[in-house]
Amino acid sequence: MTKHLLKLVWNRKRINFLITVEIFFSFIVLFGVVLAAVYYVDNYRQPLGFNYENAWRVAVEMNNRAEGSHSSQSSQTDINAPKEPSEKAEPPSATTFKQLMAAAKEFDEIEGVATCTVTPYGDGTDTSSIGDDSNPIRYGVSMVSDDFPQVLGLTLTRGRWFGKEDDGANYRPVVINERLSRDVFGDADPLGKELRRPDLPPKQEEEKSTPMRVVGVINEFRKDGEYTAPDNFLFRRQLLNNQMSREPNALMLKVRPGTTAEFEEKVIKRFQAIAKDWSFEIEPVTKMRETANTFRLAPLIAGGLVAGFLMLMVAMGLTGVLWQNVTQRTKEIGLRRAKGATARRIHKQILAELIIIATFGLIFGVAAVVQFPLLDVIGDINSRVFSLSIVISLAVIYALTVICGLYPSWMATKVQPAEALHYE
Amino acid sequence: MIQLEGIEKVYRTERIETVALTNINMNVGEGEFISIMGPSGSGKSTLLNVIGLLDVPTGGKVALNSKPVTSYSDRNLARVRNEEIGFVFQTFHLINDLNVVDNVEIPLLYRKGISSGERRKLALRALDRVGLHARVHHFPGQLSGGQQQRVAIARAIVGNPRILLADEPTGNLDSQMGDEIMDVLRGLNENEKTTVVMVTHDPRQAEKTERVVRLFDGRQVS
Ligand SMILES: Nc1ncnc2c1ncn2[C@@H]1O[C@H](COP(=O)(O)OP(=O)(O)O)[C@@H](O)[C@H]1O
Ligand SMILES: [Mg+2]
Repeated sequence: MTKHLLKLVWNRKRINFLITVEIFFSFIVLFGVVLAAVYYVDNYRQPLGFNYENAWRVAVEMNNRAEGSHSSQSSQTDINAPKEPSEKAEPPSATTFKQLMAAAKEFDEIEGVATCTVTPYGDGTDTSSIGDDSNPIRYGVSMVSDDFPQVLGLTLTRGRWFGKEDDGANYRPVVINERLSRDVFGDADPLGKELRRPDLPPKQEEEKSTPMRVVGVINEFRKDGEYTAPDNFLFRRQLLNNQMSREPNALMLKVRPGTTAEFEEKVIKRFQAIAKDWSFEIEPVTKMRETANTFRLAPLIAGGLVAGFLMLMVAMGLTGVLWQNVTQRTKEIGLRRAKGATARRIHKQILAELIIIATFGLIFGVAAVVQFPLLDVIGDINSRVFSLSIVISLAVIYALTVICGLYPSWMATKVQPAEALHYE
Repeated sequence: MIQLEGIEKVYRTERIETVALTNINMNVGEGEFISIMGPSGSGKSTLLNVIGLLDVPTGGKVALNSKPVTSYSDRNLARVRNEEIGFVFQTFHLINDLNVVDNVEIPLLYRKGISSGERRKLALRALDRVGLHARVHHFPGQLSGGQQQRVAIARAIVGNPRILLADEPTGNLDSQMGDEIMDVLRGLNENEKTTVVMVTHDPRQAEKTERVVRLFDGRQVS
């Protein structure tokens, strides 16, 4: 029977071409949306690496650039630039930050405070890379003070966080995530090693003089949140003394659960008293998360709506075409009934033909979308997400076609042989 | 073989009632070759459709092989149509998108336990029986009317039914092709003892059958 239907469908390829094309394009559109959705869900299910609950960000704007000439100068330099080993004085901004942190700790409501250069869910990013230029290993960077893991609830998997024991060391202590460790060191233990590709000689001057040394590894830190793909990350130690190479641009506070927005005012007032020319803005990380995630999900939701609407149009068109198909074939259906086909059999035949036609469209559809990774249309989407998206899209399109075929094929069962074959 | 008892058929459309058949009583014995004659609109096709289980009578009883079939389910009707009856139409009703063999195979698709190889063999044999040896991979549109009707007869007999019903099988053919088709039907009747009931307009064709049933305005007149 299948062979018979294949022949029938093939010999009617001109009429069936329209349906095939319709199925082909709906598959492509649907695949795009499903891929994005699966990608997001897949990302969402992986560990975030930090705890945003009860964490507040205090964005710090230093307006007294003239006074803190040293800091303005150094904030422009690359964070990987070598530090000048100097006997120079502590920059005023470093002193101010230390005062702000001390003041924050005095509040009962604040359980922890740390500085950072890159905030979770914040706009700013900072990336760097190691390895040769042709095949660099990239990673995100944040320079944070020693208390940062307590404030954001980071989980160490190996080694330790940086702290007092690294004061005056001839290396720069860093904590990296497991992913970066794997990329650089493979299965080898990264602890105590210099952060550079073991197979390559030190590249820059600084790698020789004050190399970055891995003191600990965390499981994860996904700065841009749960919807982005997990990536490499590295924490450097923020110094607030005459060695400061770069100013923090935010303070992270860990507040007691249940602390209300009114408390924000109190903190700002206190900070303002310490740094009169600076400005502060507090935002709970939960709120930043909402904003960032809404921003990320919006295109997906819009795409989903467009695709949903398109599917509806396609479904209506398909039902129409199939209905017309059945009415044009009443003679054939009547003949088959006269030759011994049951109504059920006719119903099955119409659906089976439809599935065959859809399969043709879908074969071309799948052939088209598997070109995407080859053409580099989509970025870093892994093959698991990709193939799952193909499977889901196939299932949806098949389901849609069958649903569209239900009414026309039911119509076909109502064909009475004597009437259909009546000769006028 | 075929028993009709008090068959009535009334077509009811929104306003008009058309009485197509009134009190038809008929017996066709095994191996008989009979023809049904009558003017256009006298109910010949309706009668044949009732016998062939393509249409349900409004009243009366139909029995095939002494089994009453009037109250059969869709499934049983389909089985009887498939196994016991071969139907030939005036306008052939071949599927234009399938070639000759595939058309002939159709009844076998609705029968269980026949492999595709067997189907092909039976179809080719049926084509052989109706005298169509070549052109089996052509499409119906590429054949003459007489050839198309041969294909239709091959399709009707491929499953070896005991009864062959033909509704004006020569009506769309010129007289020479018509004679050829008559020869095929007669051959099937004589050589394979197939019971044949044929509707015809043509007294010349009717003469060649054993018995003629005449209809007039839905009534049996002889
Ligand atoms: N499906 C139908 N609906 C209504 N009337 C019909 C239908 N089929 C046949 N008839 C009517 O029944 C009568 C007999 O028709 P038919 O059996 O086709 O005649 P014949 O084959 O002898 O020319 C005619 O009057 C015809 O118009
Ligand atoms: Mg007729």
